[in-house]
Amino acid sequence: MERGEMPRFILRNMWRRKGRTLLTIIGIVVGIFAFTVLSGLSARLNQQLGGAKKFYTNHITVVPTGGNLFGAAGKYLSLSKVAEIEAVPGVRGAVASIGLPLDLQSGAGSGTPEIIVGTELSGGGPELLAFTALQSGRLLQDGDRGKVLLGLNLANKFNAGVSDTVQMRGVDFQVVGIYKATLTAPDSFAFVSYQDGLDLFRAANPYFQVADIAGSIDVLAQPGVDSEQLSVTIQNQVSDIKAISPNDAVKQISQFSLIFNAILIGISLVALLVGGLSIINTMIMSVSERTREIGLKKAIGADTRSVLGEYLLESALIGVLGGLIGMGLGVALIAVLNTAVKTNGANVFTISRSVILTPVIFATFLGTLAGIFPALRAARLKPVEALRED
Amino acid sequence: MSLVEGRDLHKIYSSDSLQVRAVDGLDLQIDEGEFLSIVGPSGSGKTTLLHLLGLLDQPTAGQVIVRGRDTSRLNGSDLTRIRRENIGFIFQEFNLLPVLNALENVELPLRYRAMKTAERQKRAMEALDTVGLSQRAGNRPSQLSGGEQQRVAIARALVAKPALVLADEPTGELDSENTCRIIELMRRLNEELHQTFAIVTHDLFVADYTNRKITLRDGKIVSDEWQEGRPLNCDLPFED
Repeated sequence: MERGEMPRFILRNMWRRKGRTLLTIIGIVVGIFAFTVLSGLSARLNQQLGGAKKFYTNHITVVPTGGNLFGAAGKYLSLSKVAEIEAVPGVRGAVASIGLPLDLQSGAGSGTPEIIVGTELSGGGPELLAFTALQSGRLLQDGDRGKVLLGLNLANKFNAGVSDTVQMRGVDFQVVGIYKATLTAPDSFAFVSYQDGLDLFRAANPYFQVADIAGSIDVLAQPGVDSEQLSVTIQNQVSDIKAISPNDAVKQISQFSLIFNAILIGISLVALLVGGLSIINTMIMSVSERTREIGLKKAIGADTRSVLGEYLLESALIGVLGGLIGMGLGVALIAVLNTAVKTNGANVFTISRSVILTPVIFATFLGTLAGIFPALRAARLKPVEALRED
Repeated sequence: MSLVEGRDLHKIYSSDSLQVRAVDGLDLQIDEGEFLSIVGPSGSGKTTLLHLLGLLDQPTAGQVIVRGRDTSRLNGSDLTRIRRENIGFIFQEFNLLPVLNALENVELPLRYRAMKTAERQKRAMEALDTVGLSQRAGNRPSQLSGGEQQRVAIARALVAKPALVLADEPTGELDSENTCRIIELMRRLNEELHQTFAIVTHDLFVADYTNRKITLRDGKIVSDEWQEGRPLNCDLPFED
């Protein structure tokens, strides 16, 4: 059998029942479309979390009791904890920081939140800020006031370069440096000195009475000291805090992607089920309608394998077409949505190679799998019985 | 050595309460170059016999021997191979594939034996020419008349140069003019190309064209007569 000419005949066969074939393909398209868009979202999230891991895992993060990596809602640490932590053997430095939304009404926007981070610049502060490379300018340094180090998205948003002045929450800051794109959360961060951050925080919370507070304290270990072990020691020696070791941080971050990926897999399974069943249904109908033809082909010399291959290929083709169209529509939607929120500086979706390839491969596999049962049924037909069929 | 031989063939269909002896202890030899018909009333076992001889169905008991080889113990794929190499079929309902044009339909048996495209098309075209339809090579079955469709089916049965062509009521769906054309076409193929034919028919006009007429009743041969075939006289040349 010359395989090269098969697809032409198979396409003609599929086209005999245009409506049914199209509806089946549309079934796959819908599933794969949703799968593609979610993959794009998941890829973006995983990328972000990957960057977040780098950002959070070069140090121990200390937050108020009950908090997680991203702080504790409404709870703050007293600045006196910095000295307590620095007294723990093995600690090289402890850096207080305080974060607050860039905009008063922030939190409602899509994509990564834009955050002002006030970081103590004496001690290990600048070292923590060096988590990724700069595109231009310099890091913040001890004694800087009224200066800001911008993530790339914010720099684009303000349309600001080094030594330009930007206004955040009504206060003017001079840009000293801009990070290279990390494609993750810090792209939307504005780093200022702890004191500047605290002033902004106080201005935003006039009734907040505590004088010196920190949202979190980042702890650097002395060389040769195991951060995991040190994290336990800090937890034991300092009261009313929660110490999150680099490993814990990775776990916390991974949990987010796990949950999201589980949702993605769940939706994909539903798509698999619905799409697969509709292909099986269509193929069974095709086989029944063409029973006589299958009998004829067998009578004139088709062996089991060619009949099997023919119907498997037809079924796989439904999967491939559905997959390609669904993926195309999904990627198109992603492109449109990304453009729509581009003003915000951050993409909501990522189009990676796997976002493009996985749905198509998945749909092809699905089509082939769904075709196995009907194709076996066709291949096993006895020629004489098949020929008797009307 | 006979081309195809049936020895003590039985085919019994059983349902819950009923046993039908479609073929009931039948011996038959078909030799190379024969032009024979199998006739008999409905339910006499003609078609079942044809299916057994063509290895489309397996006998309940007895043997079918193709060119000296007993096929009774062969599995499905071996039977397919022997059928592919030795036997061509013509059916009452033509059984052309509607999505393929005439040439592609004729090519079909060659596709199942790994033949190069060019060679395949050349042989299919020759076969179409033999039945006088090379002009219609590109037409789909729906664009052909019943007689033309059956001629395409004959070309398909001949294309792989089988030893034996089995025809099951080949004129059953045709009017008398086309019946005449088709049976005379088969006779000419027998005379000019020495193609062996076994034709199941209930039409005695068709049977009269053959040189040997086997009559079945209740799954048994009741007569096996040699005869002078009716002279070619329908005088209805193909239009093209």
